[in-house]
Amino acid sequence: MAILLRDLLRHSPEFRIGAVLLAFVLLLSVLASFSPYPPESVYVVPPDVPPSLTYWFGTTSRGQDVFWQLSFAIRNTLLFGCTVALISRLFALVIGLISGYKGGWIDRALMSVNDTFIVIPLLPILVLFYFVMRDRISWLMLALIMACFGWAYDARLIRSVVMSLKAREFTQTSLFSGMSTRQILTEEHLPYVMPIVFSTTMNNMVWSIGLEVTLAVLGFTDINTPTIGGMIYWANQHTAMVAGIWWWIAFPTITVVMAFIGLFLLALSANAYIDPRSRLWSVGEAS
Amino acid sequence: MSGYLAYVGRRLGQFLLVVFIGVNIAYVVTHASPIDPVEQSISAVTSFGNTSPGAIEQMRNSLRELYGLSGTPVEQYLLFWKRILRADFGPSMSAFPTPVGTLIGRALPWTAGLLAVSTIVAWGLGNLLGGLAGYYRQSRGLKLMGVIAMGLHPIPYYILAMLLLIVFGFLWPVLPISGGSAMNLPQTWTPEFVLSVLQHAILPALSLILIGMGSWFLGMRSLVSNVLAEDFVVYAELAGVRSWRILTSYVMRNALVPQVTGLAMSLGGIFNGAVITEKVFGYPGLGSLLVDAVYAGDYGLVLGVTTISILGVSIGVLAIDLLYPLLDPRVKVS
Amino acid sequence: MRANVQQPHAPQDAQPILWVRDLQAHYRTSHFGVRRGVKAVDGVSFAVRRGEIYGLAGESSSGKTTLIKSIAGAIRPPLEIVGGSVEFAFLPGYGGLHRAPPVDVARIRWRHLSYIMQGSMNVLNPVRRVESAFVDFAYPHIGGSRKQFEQQVVAHLARVRLDPSVLAAFPHELSGGMRQRATLALATICRPDFIIADEPTTALDVVVQKEVLGMIRSIQRETGSSVLFVTHDMGVHAHITDRLAIMYAGRLVEEAATAEIFRNPLHPYTRHLISSLPRIGDDTPREGLGGSPPNLADPPPGCRFHPRCPLATEICKREVPAMLEADTGHRVACFAVNQGARA
Repeated sequence: MAILLRDLLRHSPEFRIGAVLLAFVLLLSVLASFSPYPPESVYVVPPDVPPSLTYWFGTTSRGQDVFWQLSFAIRNTLLFGCTVALISRLFALVIGLISGYKGGWIDRALMSVNDTFIVIPLLPILVLFYFVMRDRISWLMLALIMACFGWAYDARLIRSVVMSLKAREFTQTSLFSGMSTRQILTEEHLPYVMPIVFSTTMNNMVWSIGLEVTLAVLGFTDINTPTIGGMIYWANQHTAMVAGIWWWIAFPTITVVMAFIGLFLLALSANAYIDPRSRLWSVGEAS
Repeated sequence: MSGYLAYVGRRLGQFLLVVFIGVNIAYVVTHASPIDPVEQSISAVTSFGNTSPGAIEQMRNSLRELYGLSGTPVEQYLLFWKRILRADFGPSMSAFPTPVGTLIGRALPWTAGLLAVSTIVAWGLGNLLGGLAGYYRQSRGLKLMGVIAMGLHPIPYYILAMLLLIVFGFLWPVLPISGGSAMNLPQTWTPEFVLSVLQHAILPALSLILIGMGSWFLGMRSLVSNVLAEDFVVYAELAGVRSWRILTSYVMRNALVPQVTGLAMSLGGIFNGAVITEKVFGYPGLGSLLVDAVYAGDYGLVLGVTTISILGVSIGVLAIDLLYPLLDPRVKVS
Repeated sequence: MRANVQQPHAPQDAQPILWVRDLQAHYRTSHFGVRRGVKAVDGVSFAVRRGEIYGLAGESSSGKTTLIKSIAGAIRPPLEIVGGSVEFAFLPGYGGLHRAPPVDVARIRWRHLSYIMQGSMNVLNPVRRVESAFVDFAYPHIGGSRKQFEQQVVAHLARVRLDPSVLAAFPHELSGGMRQRATLALATICRPDFIIADEPTTALDVVVQKEVLGMIRSIQRETGSSVLFVTHDMGVHAHITDRLAIMYAGRLVEEAATAEIFRNPLHPYTRHLISSLPRIGDDTPREGLGGSPPNLADPPPGCRFHPRCPLATEICKREVPAMLEADTGHRVACFAVNQGARA
């Protein structure tokens, strides 16, 4: 793992840029612990102050310091993405490994369901869910629901990797040496699937954070927990753009875009590292 | 021929499964609620005042049926399906007594048009440029385009739509930023109306196209790099076939095959993007209708738009699936 | 009984059509900091005469495929030509397709130089009909009306016993043998001067293999083309080639008329190849060769065969043996064999 990170840092410009962007975002989210104001309090500072030395990112019309508010928001948003990604990894791994390894009608049935989940437009369903639950919807509940929908694409990827592994010789050897299916899956195949899981985790976080921002902006989440989407929601409620309070929207947007591009570049460079064919592309720099 | 029929049968089966699971999810979601949504909705509507008692009763009945709160669970479930199959979601509460079906029928052409045009443009342009970028790897312009695509692709639709709105609405106000056409024009096929519709569609379409193009561009570029190493491409090069012909008929033609599957798979995601983009630009399609229905507490409308969305996206996927054999002759045997 | 060897029928004194001189082709890669250099072809020289079938034999990973890629000008990274030259009589003065102007290369491709590629499964575009390959590959060189061209294609397909209906088929609808014959027809329809055939029959079953070999032979006799025939299968070489070169770890080790090689193999590696051929009525166990072919990223110094050679001496570990003529038309690169010649 350490060697992998070293190689990526040294030789992949995408990984370097991604890592730097994410480092900034992570640093900001860690600062949340040092905030002088609790995140829910309003009118703790003078409202509508533009960025200055006292208030680096300005203050909101609700009397909050944008900088500290943003650090809470990005922390919650990233946590949300991680939660969805981790839970949906479990589904994706289980379905992908079983489907790829078992084959036959189990594979066909699982993939039919899988493709259904890929195709169904999720946003209207989430909106319907919010409509029914209203204020009872919590942060964790939304994460759980999105995890239930967010595994399908990655399960398909993992399945295809397992299918190619299955054809290889060592699987047969393990099979003949009397290992159980569970043993083969966890001991022989999991190490090969892990890099894919890493890159899909990053992509899944991009996906779930994007959806969360979208829902929050519309006010279809728990808007009292500060998140990036929630900040933009409140800014829109106070017509910040029209009123010229641009910093209220600009800084959350820049931060979340940095997070998106950072995560995506990490996934991309991990994929390039796994794919042997990409070796040919880097030849130009060799000699 | 029988191979093609078997293929069509499989795709039709998948289509029915998607619709079935989608509607069931809608059923479970609406029935998981611990509160009585009917009374809640009714009280939300009546709090605005002046609705006749008869109208309220009619609403209550159709809502009870949709929520399926009367009868045994089996009856409830069957009633729910019956309503959906007839596309009968009762009268809208926010626009009483207009039926939900009429509202959806009005919004549908806007969304279908916006989605069709922007998806086809994004897919076509993204694949063309991505294909060129994979083939001419040394070109600086195409490399730069790759960097831009990497930056654009991961950004969610909402953020990009908002950025375009800020740029073209506040900083450099040259394009209409709200609505589907100018308010003062009658909705008839006059040149002024068509022009106005096109102008209003530019920004919503642009946000959908920019993000979509980024992902098709990146996908096609890496596919082309892989196809380039295939024997049939090397063979055609050794035969001195002209490079433009190799690029189009050999490389891109083969790389397009997985991109078509990819298009079918991402249709749901693209629809999600259209919902939010419409809301940002006040575009009079299904997305705006859905969001406004939530704000107005219009249960029948929310359920109706959700179901029609699932159905519409599935039909789009089915259409792509049925056209797929034109591009890949191999499906007929496998 | 040795394997049945045909007599060479190409004139021994015919002019060469291809000269390869001291060709060196290496792979250079760099992936996340891991650099590799593989000397796949390292100083190979030979000439192919007009009208002959010149065989090239060797194990997989001996550099055969790299050698013919370099000759055919199919050079793309990470493959690089590091030194030496390749000269065709129909493209003089450049020292290789990779150095000639693209216009000239496009002109001679298929018209003068065609190619039968390894693995018939995937050499035809899977999403287009077979006919389109004929149109793309041959029509620009043959010209005339489309109708005439079509007639010519149908007539040529008859030579490889294919029905005209294959033209309307997609590659996946044909059997492996049919595909290989279609490729053969595609490679010979322009009556090229030189055909490179890379393992053209390896993937086929024995009966089909024999049929296809017969077709290659008969078309070659009719058109007078030269063929560079590459396969690891010594039995196939015995059946079809006029002269034969043996390759080991990126270098040639022996070259002579095919009959001569089978009758009188001089290099210890060639002897091993021939003695391991199965013969009818011979039950004596085959002695294996110790060790395995060297890793070309880090080949042994001196003669690359010395770690496995039963005749190896001190000099073999230090110096590279040159290809020297041991007999008329019989060259071999081995210190043990060439001792007489050196003195």
